[in-house]
Amino acid sequence: MTRRLVLALSALLAALPAAAAPDLSADALLRDHLWREVRTASPDRRPKVGLVLSAGSLRGTAHVGVITVLENAGFPVDVVAGTSMGAVVGAMYAGGLTVNQLWENALAVKIDSGNDLSARRLISLVLFDSLLSSEKTELTVRKTIGGKTFDQMKKPFACVSMDVYTGEAIIFRDGDVATAVRASMNLPGIFAPLEYRHRYLVDGGVVDYIPVDAARLLGAEWTLASVTENDYTAVRPKSVLDSLEQVIDIRGSFLSREQRKQANYLIEPAVGTIGMFEDARIPEAIEKGVIAAARRLDGAEQSLILASLPKLAPAWQGGAK
Amino acid sequence: MRALLIALALASPARAWRLFGEPSDGKVRPVQVLNDQGKPREVLAALTPQFIQTLRGTDLRQAYILLGDSHDRLGRADEAVSDYQLGVALFPNNVDLLVRQALLLHREGLDEQAKPLFLRAIAIEPRHGNAHQGLAEIDRTLGFLDRSATHYEVALAALDTNASLWRDYAEVLLSLREFKTADLALRRSLALEPKSPDAHVLLAFARRAQDDYAGALDDLDAAIGLGAGVGARRAKALFLLEAGKPEQAGAAADEVLKEAPGDGAALWVLARAALARGDVDAAVGDLRQVKAVEGRNAFAAQAAKALTAELLK
Repeated sequence: MTRRLVLALSALLAALPAAAAPDLSADALLRDHLWREVRTASPDRRPKVGLVLSAGSLRGTAHVGVITVLENAGFPVDVVAGTSMGAVVGAMYAGGLTVNQLWENALAVKIDSGNDLSARRLISLVLFDSLLSSEKTELTVRKTIGGKTFDQMKKPFACVSMDVYTGEAIIFRDGDVATAVRASMNLPGIFAPLEYRHRYLVDGGVVDYIPVDAARLLGAEWTLASVTENDYTAVRPKSVLDSLEQVIDIRGSFLSREQRKQANYLIEPAVGTIGMFEDARIPEAIEKGVIAAARRLDGAEQSLILASLPKLAPAWQGGAK
Repeated sequence: MRALLIALALASPARAWRLFGEPSDGKVRPVQVLNDQGKPREVLAALTPQFIQTLRGTDLRQAYILLGDSHDRLGRADEAVSDYQLGVALFPNNVDLLVRQALLLHREGLDEQAKPLFLRAIAIEPRHGNAHQGLAEIDRTLGFLDRSATHYEVALAALDTNASLWRDYAEVLLSLREFKTADLALRRSLALEPKSPDAHVLLAFARRAQDDYAGALDDLDAAIGLGAGVGARRAKALFLLEAGKPEQAGAAADEVLKEAPGDGAALWVLARAALARGDVDAAVGDLRQVKAVEGRNAFAAQAAKALTAELLK
C-alpha cells in the first residue's frame, strides 16, 4: 500500500509545473550569454550601476529582500543611495554587511529599537508637544557598521536629508555615516530636527523619496530603484501619527513621480499596506521584497545588458573575443 | 479504568478509535483493485455516497484518497480538491491526504493555499519528501532560493533515486551560483538516468560556470546525441563564442538556423563571428534579420537593434 501511495504521489509530482526543462529559448540563452559578459566585465566595460533605496519607514525593510535577490544573481552594484529607511538599509549594505546580516538586522527592528518611540515618549509627544529624539537610529547604525565615515564604506554611499528651514535636499557623501543616516531617517513632526553642519535636518523622504539624483552624484550611469511607497487607497489612518506619516508619504510620492522616470529600472515590492508601526509585518515586507525582485530580475538584467552594449561592442570588433 | 474508556468512547467515538488504532473492515479493498487497474470511472461508480457512509477508519480515509485520485485522473481537478478537502476535514492529521491536496493545489497554481498544507504535513512528519519537494518548488518560484535548496536537500534524503528531483535541485544551485555543488547533484542525476539530455544540458551550464568550456561542450554534444532539441545547439553556438572560437560558433549557429530560421541567438552569434573577422557590414546584415515574432526573439531583437545602432555610429 505504501509503495502504491509513493508511486501515486510521484505521478502527481511529475505533472507539476516547476519540474520543467531548462529554458533554452533564443531570448533566454542570449540573455544568459550577455549577462555573463556584463557581470564579469571590468567596470569600464559597463555603466556604473547605482542601487537606489527609497524612503518608506518599516516598509523599507523590503529593500533587504530586493538586495538578497540581486546578490544571489551576482548583479553588479557599484554605488548605493538611500533615503530614510532606505538610508539605513543602504548604509548597512554599502558598509559591507552580508545578506544574512541584513536579514538579521531587519528582523530585529522594533518600532522603538531604532527610534525613541516608546509608549511613554509617544504620550509625551501628544500631550506636551515635545518632539522625540532619533538618536537611537544613529546608535544602531554605528553599532552595526562601526564608526565608519563615507570614504571608509565598502561601496560608495550617499543618503538624503532635508533642511527644515530652506526645504533643500541635502545629500550626504562625506563625514560620519551614522549621523547622516540619522538625519535621513528623522520623521518631521515626531523627531526633533537634527542640528548638523549648521543645518536643521529632517527626514529626506519629504523632498527626495527616491534618491536617484544622489546615486547620479556618486557617478551612477544606470540606476535600479527599489521603491516602497504607501498604498493610500488601502490604508485608513488610525491615529494622528498615521495621518502625519500618510501626508508626508503622499507629498514625497508626488515629488517622486519625476524620480521614477529618472531611474532606469524599478522594483516595487507590494508593501503599501504595511503601516509605520507594524513591526510584526517586517518578515512579510522582506519576503515581498524577494518576490518582487525575483519577478523583475530578468527584466533588470536585460535593461542593464542593453545599456552596456555601447561599452561592450568595441572589444568585439576586429579579432577580439 | 474500563468505565472511563467506555465513557470516552460514548462521548467521542472518533477520538476513542485512536486509542485502539483506526478500524478497517477491508470494504474498500475491491475498489482499490479497480484503481490499481487504472479504472477511475469504475472507482467513482463504486464509491457512492451510500457506500461511503458504511465505511470507517482507514477504509473511509482510503475512500477519499481514491475519490480524489480518480477525479484527478479524469481531469476533474476541482472535484479532486473537494474530495481531499473533505478527507482532510475528517482526518486532519493524515499526512497523505494533506500532501495530496497540497500537490494538487500547487499543480493548479494555487500556491498560497498549498503552502500551509505542506507546512502542516511537515509539522506532523518533518522529513516528508514530497511535502519538502512541494515547498522547494513554491519557494523557488517565489525567489526564495536558499529556502528552496534546503527543502530540496530534505526531499532528496527521502527520494534520492528521483533523477528529476536532483536536476531541479541543481537548477536552484545554479541560480545561487553554487556551481560545484550543482555539478555534483547533476552527476547524481546522470548516474540514475544516464540518457537524460536535460541533465547533460544543465551539467554543461555548471561546467561552463566553472570555466570548463571543453567539458561543457562535451556535455552539450552528449545532450544533442541523446536527442536534445535546437536549444542545446543554440547553447553550443553561444558557448563556442564565449570560448573564443567565433568561426566554430558561426558554424554551430548555421546548424541552428537550418532548424530554426530567423533564430535571434544564432543570428547574434553569426554577427559576432563577422565582427571578429572585422566584417561590420556582414554583422549588420545578420543583426537586421533578427525580428521579434509571436513572442519569440523579443529581447534578441532589442539587443540586435542596439548593437546595429552602435556599429553604424
